[in-house]
Amino acid sequence: MAVEAKPLYSSKATEHQETNAEELRKEHLMLDPMPRDEMNQMVMNAMHTTTKKYWVFLIGFGLAVVVLLFGAWGYMIANGMGVAGIRRPVFWGIFIVTFVFWIGISHAGTFVSAILRVFKAEFRRPFTRAAELMTTFGLAAGALYPLIHLGRVWVFYWMIPYPNARWLWPNFRSPLVWDFLAITTYLLSSTIYLFLPLMPDLAMARDRTTGWRHAIYKVLSLGWRGTEAEWLRLRKAIGIFAFAIIPVMFSVHTIVSWDFAVTMVVGWQSTIFGPYFIIGAILSGVSAVVTILYIIRSTMKNFDYFIRPEHFDGLGKLILIFSMAWAYFFFNEYILSWYGGEEALKQLLTLHATGPSAWVWYLMLICNVAIPWLFLWNKKIRRTPWIMFIITLLVNVGMFAERYTIIPLTLGHQRNPFDWGIYNPTIVEISIVLGTLCLFIFLYLLASRLIPLVPVWEVQEGQMSHTFRKVGKTEIPSVTELE
Amino acid sequence: MAEKEGKEKWGMVIDLDICTGCQACVTACSMENNIPFVGEDEMAYGRGMQWMRIRRYWEGEYPEVAPAHEPMLCQQCGNAPCEPVCPVFASVHSEQEQINLQVYNRCIGTRYCANNCPFSARTFNWFDYELPAPMNSYLNPDVSVRRRGIMEKCTFCVQRIVKGRQNASASGREIADGEVVPACAQACPTDAIVFGNLSDPESRVSQIARSDRAFRELEELGTDSRVTYLKGGKNYGS
Amino acid sequence: MSDNISRRDFLKLSGLGITAAAVMTGCGPSSRYVVRHAYVDMPEYNQTGVSTFYATTCQECPAGCGIIVRTQEGRAIKIEGNPNHPVNLGKICSRGLTSVQGLYNPDRIGGPQKRSRGEQNITPMNWEDAVTVVTNGLANSGKVAFLLGLTSDHLFDLVTEITTAANSMPPFRYSSLATLEGRATLVKATEEMFGKPNLPYFDISNSDVILNFGASFLETWISPLAYSRGFKNFRKQKFGKRGYLISFEPRQSLTSANADLWVPALPGSEGYLAMAIGKIVAQIKSLPIPLMYENITISDASKISGVSETKLQEIAEIVARAEHPIAIPGGGALVTENGLQTAKAILGLNILHKNLGVPGGVYLTNGDSPTTNLDEIAKLIQEMNAGNIATIFIHGTNPVFELPKSLGFTEALKKVPTVISFSSFEDETVIESDYVFPDHTGLESFGYQRVLAGSDREAISSVQPVVQPIHDTKATVDVFLAAATSVGGDISAKIKYTDEVDFLQQKITPLLDSGGFYNAPELPTFWSKWLQYGGWWKPEMGLEIPEDNNQLSEKIDLKLPKQLSENKEFHLITFGTQMGDGHGANRPWLQETPDPMTTLTWNSWIEINPDTADKLGIHDDDIVSVASTTGGESIEVVVYRYPAIRPDCVAMPFGQGHTALGRYAEGRGSNPAEIWSSLLNQAGNLAVFETKVSITPTGKRRPLARQESKAGVYGEH
Repeated sequence: MAVEAKPLYSSKATEHQETNAEELRKEHLMLDPMPRDEMNQMVMNAMHTTTKKYWVFLIGFGLAVVVLLFGAWGYMIANGMGVAGIRRPVFWGIFIVTFVFWIGISHAGTFVSAILRVFKAEFRRPFTRAAELMTTFGLAAGALYPLIHLGRVWVFYWMIPYPNARWLWPNFRSPLVWDFLAITTYLLSSTIYLFLPLMPDLAMARDRTTGWRHAIYKVLSLGWRGTEAEWLRLRKAIGIFAFAIIPVMFSVHTIVSWDFAVTMVVGWQSTIFGPYFIIGAILSGVSAVVTILYIIRSTMKNFDYFIRPEHFDGLGKLILIFSMAWAYFFFNEYILSWYGGEEALKQLLTLHATGPSAWVWYLMLICNVAIPWLFLWNKKIRRTPWIMFIITLLVNVGMFAERYTIIPLTLGHQRNPFDWGIYNPTIVEISIVLGTLCLFIFLYLLASRLIPLVPVWEVQEGQMSHTFRKVGKTEIPSVTELE
Repeated sequence: MAEKEGKEKWGMVIDLDICTGCQACVTACSMENNIPFVGEDEMAYGRGMQWMRIRRYWEGEYPEVAPAHEPMLCQQCGNAPCEPVCPVFASVHSEQEQINLQVYNRCIGTRYCANNCPFSARTFNWFDYELPAPMNSYLNPDVSVRRRGIMEKCTFCVQRIVKGRQNASASGREIADGEVVPACAQACPTDAIVFGNLSDPESRVSQIARSDRAFRELEELGTDSRVTYLKGGKNYGS
Repeated sequence: MSDNISRRDFLKLSGLGITAAAVMTGCGPSSRYVVRHAYVDMPEYNQTGVSTFYATTCQECPAGCGIIVRTQEGRAIKIEGNPNHPVNLGKICSRGLTSVQGLYNPDRIGGPQKRSRGEQNITPMNWEDAVTVVTNGLANSGKVAFLLGLTSDHLFDLVTEITTAANSMPPFRYSSLATLEGRATLVKATEEMFGKPNLPYFDISNSDVILNFGASFLETWISPLAYSRGFKNFRKQKFGKRGYLISFEPRQSLTSANADLWVPALPGSEGYLAMAIGKIVAQIKSLPIPLMYENITISDASKISGVSETKLQEIAEIVARAEHPIAIPGGGALVTENGLQTAKAILGLNILHKNLGVPGGVYLTNGDSPTTNLDEIAKLIQEMNAGNIATIFIHGTNPVFELPKSLGFTEALKKVPTVISFSSFEDETVIESDYVFPDHTGLESFGYQRVLAGSDREAISSVQPVVQPIHDTKATVDVFLAAATSVGGDISAKIKYTDEVDFLQQKITPLLDSGGFYNAPELPTFWSKWLQYGGWWKPEMGLEIPEDNNQLSEKIDLKLPKQLSENKEFHLITFGTQMGDGHGANRPWLQETPDPMTTLTWNSWIEINPDTADKLGIHDDDIVSVASTTGGESIEVVVYRYPAIRPDCVAMPFGQGHTALGRYAEGRGSNPAEIWSSLLNQAGNLAVFETKVSITPTGKRRPLARQESKAGVYGEH
């Protein structure tokens, strides 16, 4: 194993030596080690602590899922799609908006985890698990929508390629089939990617629990013992997956964008939609990670040790960059459309900005561009968790507005003005949308007490590789790369 | 789907100069094809089920104002945008008639085809629409009654095409020009709608389609639509 | 059309071309006497899976279009035009298409009923008792009145025979459609101009310029399918010649919308325009100016009508250059106080051009067209109020809905001891009746309809049942015949028919050998052809040529249209729609078929010029109160800002606003008849267009069910 030590945080550390070491320890989780067992216990404690409030929330969200999601959906199945607000020409409404939104959110979980892992960004360590869970649950919520929006959901399986009496495969030319395959692939791979680093932690939990929990962890940890060979293989597998999942992630969201980009719909038919959607997805996803980290940090025991302002700071910088990238793509799409001079498209874009639903468009720009650009350049703001919480929530509101603009508002103003139409979501649709949000929260709440939300071994590994080294009289924080 | 040259390639010409916009075709289509009526509230919300709709724009300002009526129906594109997007082949091209079929019992209701139709020609069954007894008695037995959750659209009265072909083949001949007439063309009080086989260059519809007033809606999209319109005009003596 | 048309040719012509299908005759539902068999003995006309086609006549309006009904397994499936029929040559309109929705309407009355007026207190009866009630009514022959509609000519003929035999009041015929189209005025004007009280036939197919004064001949006017075909021929003439349509109307109807030139003239000023055009044309053609047109200056006509002098000059030049310019008086131009004089001035333009009895000119139809003028209805109402009517029979019309409220028919009805309705539906008049003895609907009944104005030849259209009656209904003719047999006296002595079919056969016997496109040696053969072809008509065109009564040299006297205070008072224009006289409102597909001009469905509306609406501060979908400035009555109606109407006019469709008539019609829109003025013109026609109204916003709103996108078409959100 090659060991290479390099200085970290060098610039400022050298200037104020004595006090700095203490400050750096407070600032950086990696430099603030804790005995292994104590840390394990902290995570176990966080998992075991269930307050009355927790149960109220858990049951509340569970009920909300049953009523808002399954109740409203059942009502819609029994009566027909007409209970939703969609109409000619807006055949896709808030369901597809929310679908794209969840898929987008779920992207960044993996992105944050995999990209930062690949580039060995050390600050990633405590929150990769939280991000990966967000991916899985976001997909679980999002993947319901292709079913929810079907006119005849009871025959949804006709979309699945399987040998059947009709002697008919699905239409592989249809982006919906690509979608179906891409989402399934992504769900599968991101679940594996979540599971691999989870194994040692599950084994840790297995060894510290009794009863039903023990039984579950025993099964889930697949007999992990922690031998050198096991670690070696795990590292290799994670390494491979971290690389492999990045192209999967890019392709999935590109494919989601193709649902729109390959059509003849004015405003959808665009070559830039692939990267535009990916950037948008990452922007909303990274923001969602911050939102979730804030909630975890402020509600769960011991988590202010793991999640520190440095993490908000780092993610805040990412958001700022992606907000700029998103704005670039947005501008790009406009200027190309303008240059193309297609009458219907010009009319459409004008209507987005001036029509009766223009507030959605402005909301999108304010939340996605104005707010990040105004606030996120400031380190103090980036390091204040509650402000970050609000900003990231707003970014996601903005991204929801973006998808709303792209889908119903664009469909409503196509080439034939005679057929234009305004779409307004009905209470049933809103209920289903809130229902999937509740489902996401419910699953997360459940997971927070069943799965170690912090990858303990990764944190410990990181802390072991971070040390203060004496260079002359100065103590310099340094990291050892294990490869 | 790529088209093979066959004997049949059904098409339509609508002469906007003599189309008065009277809506008889709309009613005829609805009565022939078991199209459900949806009532005032649903109509107001843009959920009318008419397969044929007469678009009416206004041209000019009072007093030189006049409406421009244009019957709009499924254009039965040769290169149809609705077909590739359907995941279950419910929207398919028929090899025999060279039209776009909608296979009702295969449709799962993704509504993707309707989004992708540049003519907004497709309608969706948002509900099961009530047809109180004994009104169900007039339903045409040749046309399926659609249930909620599926897409439908103009079929060029394919049931009549099939019947015409069967009759022709029973008497051992080709389908004669003008033998198959869809409900709209049959009703049209001014004979503004002409229907026939475009693969026969001598058929009436082919001849009229060669008029120099001919144009096709959104031709620039390259959908190869089978409905040709003849431009209306307000000139004396031309 | 040839004399010896074979059955084979017929099928070929019909375009049905279906080998298994035959237009059936003499058996099937049109069997005279119904015999019930077990279902396993399927009659031969009723093969499972094979359609049977029957030729009959559309009973939705009095035009008398021939239809062929596709039936299968004993059910009427689809209405198609009869390709042989001289009126419509295989074409069909929305109203005819939806008549199966009348037949199978869930709100039909299932059998004879005794009712309490104004209440839902219904006692079912049997038909024997019903006939007794009718007999008792007929017995008092001095105090009986018949109010019939324009369809079912055979019923009218029978009732006329009965009233003649009993020496009682002749039957009245009323339809709001005929009122709106100015039918009585047109007939009267024709009588004065050409000496015969017949409807004129305008051969627009062969004319090159049409001057249309208010006739909405593409929608409802007299025989819309025949005129639509004429319009097509007019546009597509030989050698690529294309006719030029000029339309004078304050509100752009579908006909004016298809015109090459629409001239929004003030209602009531059409006569001045016709005179001015006549004068200029005579000047251009260096003819002596007829006395009829002498009394006008171009500038006066321009001032009165609001049409510029240059435009008048331009129009007159087009007319003068034309070979066969035809001038049509109809609808709006006739239902004003000036109506009769206006109609004469317009008909005079045809005389000026020597355009009588030539291709592209004016002809006279055969046979009289009994339409009761409103002044006679007013007299009937007087009689009713005076207690001189003991029994009133109402069939085929809905007077409580259709007559102007100001006439007071509903109140007068309360003074009639026995009111008997034969309606198939519980309409407004049925609610005010003591008995309802439902007739079959048009698709279940026998009969005939004289084709008056849509055919270029003499034609009588036959009606036969295409399905067996689905309810316990009875043909009204049979009811009257049964009553006539048992009432005794003159009626029983003179009315000698065994049943409805016998009556029809006796009536058509004179046609047996009178030069129709088929002849038959004896009645049964004739009868079967009569049913099979859907009627009888002459093989070639032949109409009477009108005689010039030298009326051009009679002066006419027009009243100046009334001055309205701007933006306070408006001319109310009522136009006919696919609802016809209002009975179409319970056909859901008629409700859902958009209005051609506004794309509105399922409601009524008031059309206001956007400029006027802006001045009044009225927006689309606002509910306004429309009050008659003379009568004081008012209705509430939703606004549609209509770009093609004069700023001093507002317009409403007729046919909605039912308070009865079943689930599809009730509580929808409002009925302009409630605020119509009861002013009559010189022909006794209701001067509907003389209604003046004021508009007041109510502050309420109700979105109209429009097919168009308001944002897309009008740029409003």
